[in-house]
Amino acid sequence: MSSLSATIQDVFNEPGCGKNANKSEAERKKGCTKQLQPGGAAGGCAFDGAKIALQPLTDVAHLIHGPIACEGNSWDNRGAKSSGSNIWRTGFTTDINETDVVFGGEKRLFKAIREIIEKYDPPAVFVYQTCVPAMIGDDINAVCKAAKEKFGKPVIPVNSPGFVGPKNLGNKLAGEALLEHVIGTEEPEYTTPYDLNIIGEYNLAGELWQVKPLLDELGIRIFSSISGDGRYKEVAYSHRAKAAMMVCSKAMINVARKMEERYGIPFFEGSFYGIEDSSDSLREIARLLIERGAPEELMTRTEAVIAREEAKAWAAIASYKPRFKGKKVLLITGGVKSWSVVAALQEAGLELVGTSVKKSTKEDKERIKELMGQDAHMIDDMTPREMYKMLKDAKADIMLSGGRSQFIALKASMPWLDINQERHHAYMGYVGMVKLVEEIDKALYNPIWEQVRKAAPWEVAGTNWQAVAMAQMDAEAAALAADPVAAEAARRAKKICNCKSVDLGTIEDAVAAHRLIDVEGVRTHTNASGGCGACSERIDDILASVAMTAVPALQAAE
Amino acid sequence: MTQNADHVLDHLELFRGPEYQQMLANKKKMFENPRDPAEVERVREWAKTPEYRELNFAREALTVNPAKACQPLGAVFAAVGFEGTIPFVHGSQGCVAYYRSHFSRHFKEPSSCVSSSMTEDAAVFGGLNNMIDGLANTYAMYKPKMIAVSTTCMAEVIGDDLNAFIKTAKEKGSVPAEYDVPFAHTPAFVGSHVTGYDNVMKGIFEHFWDGKARTAPVLERVPNEKINFIGGFDGYTVGNLREVKRLLGIMGADYTILGDNSDVWDTPTDGEFRMYDGGTTLEDAANALHAKATISMQEYSTEKTLPFIASHGQEVVAFNHPIGVAGTDAFLMAVSRIIGKEIPEELARERGRLVDAIADSSAHIHGKKFAIYGDPDLCLGLAAFLLELGAEPTHVLATNGSKQWAEKVQALFDSSPFGQNCHVYPGKDLWHMRSLLFTDPVDFLIGNTYGKYLERDTGTPLIRIGFPIFDRHHHHRYPVWGYQGGMNVLVWILDKIFDEIDKNTNVPSKTDYSFDIIR
Repeated sequence: MSSLSATIQDVFNEPGCGKNANKSEAERKKGCTKQLQPGGAAGGCAFDGAKIALQPLTDVAHLIHGPIACEGNSWDNRGAKSSGSNIWRTGFTTDINETDVVFGGEKRLFKAIREIIEKYDPPAVFVYQTCVPAMIGDDINAVCKAAKEKFGKPVIPVNSPGFVGPKNLGNKLAGEALLEHVIGTEEPEYTTPYDLNIIGEYNLAGELWQVKPLLDELGIRIFSSISGDGRYKEVAYSHRAKAAMMVCSKAMINVARKMEERYGIPFFEGSFYGIEDSSDSLREIARLLIERGAPEELMTRTEAVIAREEAKAWAAIASYKPRFKGKKVLLITGGVKSWSVVAALQEAGLELVGTSVKKSTKEDKERIKELMGQDAHMIDDMTPREMYKMLKDAKADIMLSGGRSQFIALKASMPWLDINQERHHAYMGYVGMVKLVEEIDKALYNPIWEQVRKAAPWEVAGTNWQAVAMAQMDAEAAALAADPVAAEAARRAKKICNCKSVDLGTIEDAVAAHRLIDVEGVRTHTNASGGCGACSERIDDILASVAMTAVPALQAAE
Repeated sequence: MTQNADHVLDHLELFRGPEYQQMLANKKKMFENPRDPAEVERVREWAKTPEYRELNFAREALTVNPAKACQPLGAVFAAVGFEGTIPFVHGSQGCVAYYRSHFSRHFKEPSSCVSSSMTEDAAVFGGLNNMIDGLANTYAMYKPKMIAVSTTCMAEVIGDDLNAFIKTAKEKGSVPAEYDVPFAHTPAFVGSHVTGYDNVMKGIFEHFWDGKARTAPVLERVPNEKINFIGGFDGYTVGNLREVKRLLGIMGADYTILGDNSDVWDTPTDGEFRMYDGGTTLEDAANALHAKATISMQEYSTEKTLPFIASHGQEVVAFNHPIGVAGTDAFLMAVSRIIGKEIPEELARERGRLVDAIADSSAHIHGKKFAIYGDPDLCLGLAAFLLELGAEPTHVLATNGSKQWAEKVQALFDSSPFGQNCHVYPGKDLWHMRSLLFTDPVDFLIGNTYGKYLERDTGTPLIRIGFPIFDRHHHHRYPVWGYQGGMNVLVWILDKIFDEIDKNTNVPSKTDYSFDIIR
């Protein structure tokens, strides 16, 4: 376990992560893992994160070492697409039982690896650690090492048991496994000046294939894809690429950065969501490749392709603009980066009234502000009731979000379109943008929304739950508006730090009383951010706003 | 020959053996004057063209693959819905064998029905003797509580007068004078099975309410608070009527189902043969006169019955086989208004669940094109549901649909943005549909079992909803009415959509990159 905790510490110390760089030493030690609040509705675990990051490697046998829970619930649950082998879809697990828990599961794991190699002969076996074997002390690193020697085949331990943290940490630990055991272990047959790694792209709904033809046309080779529609060998020799594009910023930043560090492969963070983003990414790719020795004329050809594709996409989208006139969108998204979608939707003529920033970094938020203007609503957590209110007040016509928010949207009677992992359409690239617009159009004009919003014909107006909830909210708002004291109390009662249960008023008082200027000061005096530390950004904002209001007060005093 | 007693092959496998294949090929080659395969192919392709469709739609005399059945079939359907009633079809026995097999194949239940077995001499001299003997034998052998007489074409062509014949038979002692023998003339050369249903229902009420062919006093209406319910000719009668009873029970309605054949076509296997089971009691049929109102779920199944009932002083309300949220809303609202009771929370929740289910999966149906054929009311109900789902009922065809029906369908199209490119085809047949599916393809076809030929020829996936369904079992047990019924139809449609996606993505290493477990 010592090596695992060392790896986790290392991952936390990610200089490529802006959020991390802003932290104090003590905070960084705590890590960027937001400790899950007991009792809260949680997202996936580190195991899940590791698995989804690596599972799209199509020719690898992914063996889950653990009881049936881990593979049983996650087998083939992602819409990644393969252009070749389908072994990644086969559910391999050691399915350990009570006896294994008592006597240890290492032997079973070793046998399972042997059986996979004998029966399937994949280029590599990835072994995923899960909570139970980790707790009973199964050393998968040792088993994998022994198996590798015995069978002469790469057997890669992915040490990311669920309890070490959330999904995002698992993504990074998966990246570490690749860095430590896979990348740089083989050599390509040949290289070209046009060899590109794509990192953090999962080919969901086959969307990478919507971009690949453009790269093919430009003569740019997807040298290695980590991991969408990827092959083991490609990853093993990916250290010979000329440049890299990092797609999903938070998931695999450690891979991109360390490959730059170790092998001198420059990377940029880009996106193929949205027309302008696609163009920017193509330009960046060309620029990096030229920097690494590709002929200058690549840029000319790239610009030509961009011009052609943009014109085509714009023309296709233009026909929807009249139908989208005045339509407002609420964007609740985790995985797909908010700002990239914001730009895309604006291109389609939709007006954004709000976006979630749950998984966005500070930079992401800045970019959103840039795109949407300062008064953009950035929503961290929204209750169904609040969502409904936004809709009712005609602030939003449609909600774009991930699969899990679907049901909230529906109960809130809001048109909804899935743009996260469980979607069935590919929205990447120029054609993807057109597809997204087409799907938004379909969702907006689906007659079911009328039905969903309409009360049953026998209902008396104002008695359904939506109306009751709205009336209640309005009443609360009215009561607060009429009573400034209560309003101030309500404002101050807003919970800022969930772990230590510290409200806004307490923090404001402490800041004023002790002239606090940083998060650490606030923590010392109020214990806020003394838990997971996730609220330190909110505290930063409070510090900023207190400073703003305090300055004129001081000046007046002088 | 490969057939052997130890392992007997059935036709699915046997004729695929090399011996048979060889034999069939030789037979074709040497004795069947085979056409040039290229020519066959050319004609096959030509039959897919707009040019062929023009010719097809110019057909005047010939009906090819009709999507309707005859009046007497509907007559039998209606008659078995009354307690202890045997349908007695005055005419040739072969027709009756058809009705029985038709219903047995659809409901997977025995269907009891007798015939007066008219033969050539009856055709020449009239069927009176057949009526006299037939009623006597039926009464003696099957001990029914009521014999409902209808006719086949044969009796109609020679002009047998049922009223007079039954009177004479009673005089001759075939059945007691006060015994109930309602009748209806149901020639197959007029209308279709829905007309036959209508005529028999009307005939039965006429009998009970209007003085039993002048053998009893005319009943006087003493209005009460009950409501009558008529389902119409409906392949889902077993599931639907049970669902309607449940709904009316929850509503707290005091009701009578008229023509309740839900039990006789779903008898339990418990060692007892039930020739009759359930059904509207004769007393209830008579007392239905006093009800406050009568609701018909199928306007075109009750075109004569409803005006007849209305003429006796009741309110009548007709629907068009309502399916889905709005359709069920309208039905329940009508019940609620008539009985003066509010729709209870339980049904509001069922409604919410259907809306929820539609919202969860409507994206898969929204924008898809459908062709529908079937009985006029079913077509209207399905088309309305599809429009509600955001699908386009591109072709709606009823061989037994009238001009007036077509106008109603058109009005439905006009009421929705999804109906703008949809067309209605009254009086057309499945060969017309075949042309339409080639020249204006749709994503899915909704129809009865006969649609499987269209599915095979045109490649349009068939969703089996209608009557008859011979090649799939037990669907008639599921309701399509009520919110729960709407859920069933939704699921059937979705199942086919997902089956198609799977079918198109299941070739290993070719298309199976999209063979996903999550849809």
